[in-house]
Amino acid sequence: MNKWFKSGSPWIWLSAGGVSISLISVLGLLWLIASRGLSYFWPSELYQFNLTDEAGAKQVVIGEIYDREHIPVSQLAHLNLTLPEGQETLERLLIKTGNRELVSLDFRWILSTNITQTTKPETLAVVERRTNGNFYGFIDHIVLDGVEVAQDRLPELVERVEQFQAEIDSLQKSDIGAINYQLERLRLKARKHQLQGELTPELQQSIDDEVAKLESDYRTLEKELMVFRDKIARDQLVMRAMDGQLVTINFENILKVSFNNQLGVFEKTKIFFSQIGAFIVDDPREANTEGGVFPAIFGTVLMVLLMTVIVSPFGVIAAIYLHEYAGKNSLTKLLRIAVINLAGVPSIVYGVFGLGFFVYMVGGSLDQIFYPETLPSPTFGTPGVLWSAITLAILTLPVVIVSTEEGLSRIPSAMRHGSLALGATKAETLWRIILPIASPAIMTGIILAIARAAGEVAPLMLVGVVKMAPNLPLDGNFPFLHLERKFMHLGFHIYDVGFQSPNVEAARPLVYATALLLVSIIVALNMTAVTIRNRLREKYKMLEH
Amino acid sequence: MISVTPTALSDSPNKLDLNNLSPEQVALNINNLNLHYGNKQALQNISMAIPKGQVTAFIGPSGCGKSTLLRCINRMNDLVDNCKITGEINLHGTNIYDKHVDVAELRRKVGMVFQRPNPFPKTIYENVIYGLRIMGENNRRVLDDAVEKSLRSAALWNEVKDRLHESALGLSGGQQQRLVIARAIAIQPEVLLLDEPTSALDPISTLTIEELINDLKKEFTVVIVTHNMQQAARVSDQTAFMYMGDLIEYSDTNTLFTTPMKKKTEDYITGRYG
Amino acid sequence: MDNLHMGRHISGQFNEDLERVINNVMHMGGLVEKQLSDALAAVGNNDEELAREVLNNDYQINAYEVSIDDECTRIIAKRQPAAGDLRLIMAIVKTIADLERIGDEAEKIAQVALESFSSKQQDLLLNLDNLGRKVLEFLQATLDAFTRMDVDTAINIHQTDDSINREYEALMRQLMTYMMEDPRSIPQIMTVIWSARALERIGDRSQNICEYIIYFVKGKVVRHTTAEDMKKLK
Repeated sequence: MNKWFKSGSPWIWLSAGGVSISLISVLGLLWLIASRGLSYFWPSELYQFNLTDEAGAKQVVIGEIYDREHIPVSQLAHLNLTLPEGQETLERLLIKTGNRELVSLDFRWILSTNITQTTKPETLAVVERRTNGNFYGFIDHIVLDGVEVAQDRLPELVERVEQFQAEIDSLQKSDIGAINYQLERLRLKARKHQLQGELTPELQQSIDDEVAKLESDYRTLEKELMVFRDKIARDQLVMRAMDGQLVTINFENILKVSFNNQLGVFEKTKIFFSQIGAFIVDDPREANTEGGVFPAIFGTVLMVLLMTVIVSPFGVIAAIYLHEYAGKNSLTKLLRIAVINLAGVPSIVYGVFGLGFFVYMVGGSLDQIFYPETLPSPTFGTPGVLWSAITLAILTLPVVIVSTEEGLSRIPSAMRHGSLALGATKAETLWRIILPIASPAIMTGIILAIARAAGEVAPLMLVGVVKMAPNLPLDGNFPFLHLERKFMHLGFHIYDVGFQSPNVEAARPLVYATALLLVSIIVALNMTAVTIRNRLREKYKMLEH
Repeated sequence: MISVTPTALSDSPNKLDLNNLSPEQVALNINNLNLHYGNKQALQNISMAIPKGQVTAFIGPSGCGKSTLLRCINRMNDLVDNCKITGEINLHGTNIYDKHVDVAELRRKVGMVFQRPNPFPKTIYENVIYGLRIMGENNRRVLDDAVEKSLRSAALWNEVKDRLHESALGLSGGQQQRLVIARAIAIQPEVLLLDEPTSALDPISTLTIEELINDLKKEFTVVIVTHNMQQAARVSDQTAFMYMGDLIEYSDTNTLFTTPMKKKTEDYITGRYG
Repeated sequence: MDNLHMGRHISGQFNEDLERVINNVMHMGGLVEKQLSDALAAVGNNDEELAREVLNNDYQINAYEVSIDDECTRIIAKRQPAAGDLRLIMAIVKTIADLERIGDEAEKIAQVALESFSSKQQDLLLNLDNLGRKVLEFLQATLDAFTRMDVDTAINIHQTDDSINREYEALMRQLMTYMMEDPRSIPQIMTVIWSARALERIGDRSQNICEYIIYFVKGKVVRHTTAEDMKKLK
């Protein structure tokens, strides 16, 4: 035994054990969120349950099996159920029944003992709708412009609506959106001149003319829009719900109709991937509990990139000063300690600081100087993507400084001396020799900064993130990048969907899916940075002294 | 009657009287140079004249101040904290420690090669033209010419001409050191300081460098610090022996290595020191 | 051995190598000295047996020369001696060449003892014996100076070579007279002349050795310099 200790193998086991535990927890985490998240996109089987309750009343329930659990019989005792003898637990199923217009809850529990028959009818359909969630039922008939038509026209009609809907979206978003934006700018222009006392009648006239022109454009577009609206409102789908009730659904409200029980594995896979695609590129619906997360992805990536652009030069410059120029005295030491301690400040404190300093003080002053015409409604004096990026830049600054300094101190003095001996000044040496060689270390700092920033949510809630942003911070209207706008963030989205949505149960898979997406995005950002860093490392590989 | 005088090996044709050099024979004049690191005096009253177009070697035991003296010549000691220098080193009659001297300018005139080859992590080409780029030279043709000329002078051209745009770190140690020499001579310095240039190299690479030094003195004044006495004997025209910050003996190499005047020198070069 | 200040090299191996070479040179010198004195004794006592012994022993001197030569080459290759060490090795290499020649000369003298001389001619040999004794002393002094690396002695010895030369010239004149008086004795006298010549050469070679001593100690080449210049070295 003693020999075994001396051989050193306990240490190998201990350290390998540590690695295994870390590996298992990371893989377990990924596996959990991946499996839970991805199952959300897999088209599930649709069931019809015939139930008979204790009183003998019969009932039909249609829906997806969402969850199943075993509960102790004792918990159900108060229900006065007649339970099978000798059984301690009962299985109970959570069924997603949808049909919000008929029942208030999307979900309901049923006891497996009450089920008399379970079938998977092939004609059972699930209708994905723009509002009110899914509808589960059988197609009764289709009304085309007031006339009943055959059911096989369904895919064609859904596609038709989809096309018109796309037209409407583009009209609303880009064309009408642009007109609204211009109108707003004209209003601000008038107000600006008015504030400066330069609003001459001619100017007022020209502005009014432009407004009139835009408004007439707007009316034209509106008419076009109305035409499309009328078109998509033409047809109706009549569904029979589980209780036999007929429900009419307008086609304009329909996103997709699928007969999950008819699908083979191949088709299901196809749908699976198209659902993932839709999740990534679509806007959210129904208070974020349905639809995609594109604005959140966009916001997260944009904010992180902005943050990187801000933090890198500042961090590198600060590190260069600390390492190359600052005298080696106690003040420098103190500064360095301060920088390191900055990394330990809780992130919410940064949020408070950002709100108080950047948003109210800096942003408020900016508004008074540059945007007096919009006041009292603030432009920069309100949380926005710029302030979020700057706040996170300050949060991650120590990381960049520390790793850049580390990189600078690893450069052999022979490099500096070599350059200086050739008549280069210190600045030239820094720029041409030191910085390129230190670039892998700088990249490491940026990688760490990105990793930290992409995962931060708390400070962002104070300085720019919202549940639902009306516009992306990047669009087709000049100046294209709108740094003052609020934005959506995946991290906040998870929090919002998971804890703030009206229908927590329905949102749970979405939480996992979003979490998976957030992790993937951070991994992708990091991998990009790591690739760049490895390239640089290869290029500036030091001699193995 | 034909009189035949054998060329005496002990008296090289360019043997100089080191105490009475004419101004045009002198490349550098060191006058009463003292150097302190903090409270410790590293150089004591060094005075010597380094002749132009010749190889001058500094030898002596470790810590004798020979590298320090070398670094004084291009003011690399400025990089060392609390290093105090008095006395003067004259280059063209100007004291390089004068206040108005531009150090970068000085270092262009006085190039330096270090113990370990320190090529920059750039291509061979970029390494050679580094000094020229610093000086603002961007004309492609001038740079190309400079690269070829310097690499030829450094006896490296034939080995690397086909891979000028590959990384310099792929060269062997000896090649790297020659590249560093090429880099130093690309900016046409007047004086070339070599600080133990072969101490990290194998014997064959060492010989190539020594051969190179012999060629270099046609164009440059070379000052070399070496631990290897045989090397000093082989490559130099003058040798200075230093001990504990003092210049003990400075004379032509042939004399110093056969009949040194001072006992300390004799003891050191015959391996009796200590 | 003061001038050699041995035992102070950092490399003990180098010290040992040098000491061995020097010891071998001493032994070789001793052997040469013995050969010369034996040869002279053989001639003086007409001792044929001793003369043959001298002839037989010469190979030892040659062997010493070869082995010392070898060792010096090795030292140069391995140690790259500089300054004093270098001069010492150079002096040794040259000294052993001269010692070997002295050995050869001793051999020549021993040959004389093998010739048959009439009683009248024994006088000739007596003269030779005088010169021989002087040369032997000269050689002994030289070797002594070499052992101690004593410059002053070496310079003194160097100067006394003149007296040997004078003795040699006197002997020559005497032998010349004999030849004129009795032409029949010319073959024997020639033999004596050869050995006198050999003794004179030994004197010159000893003088060379003194020059090497001076070179080693002073680092000055004193060959082909005047006596006055050499005195300045003292």
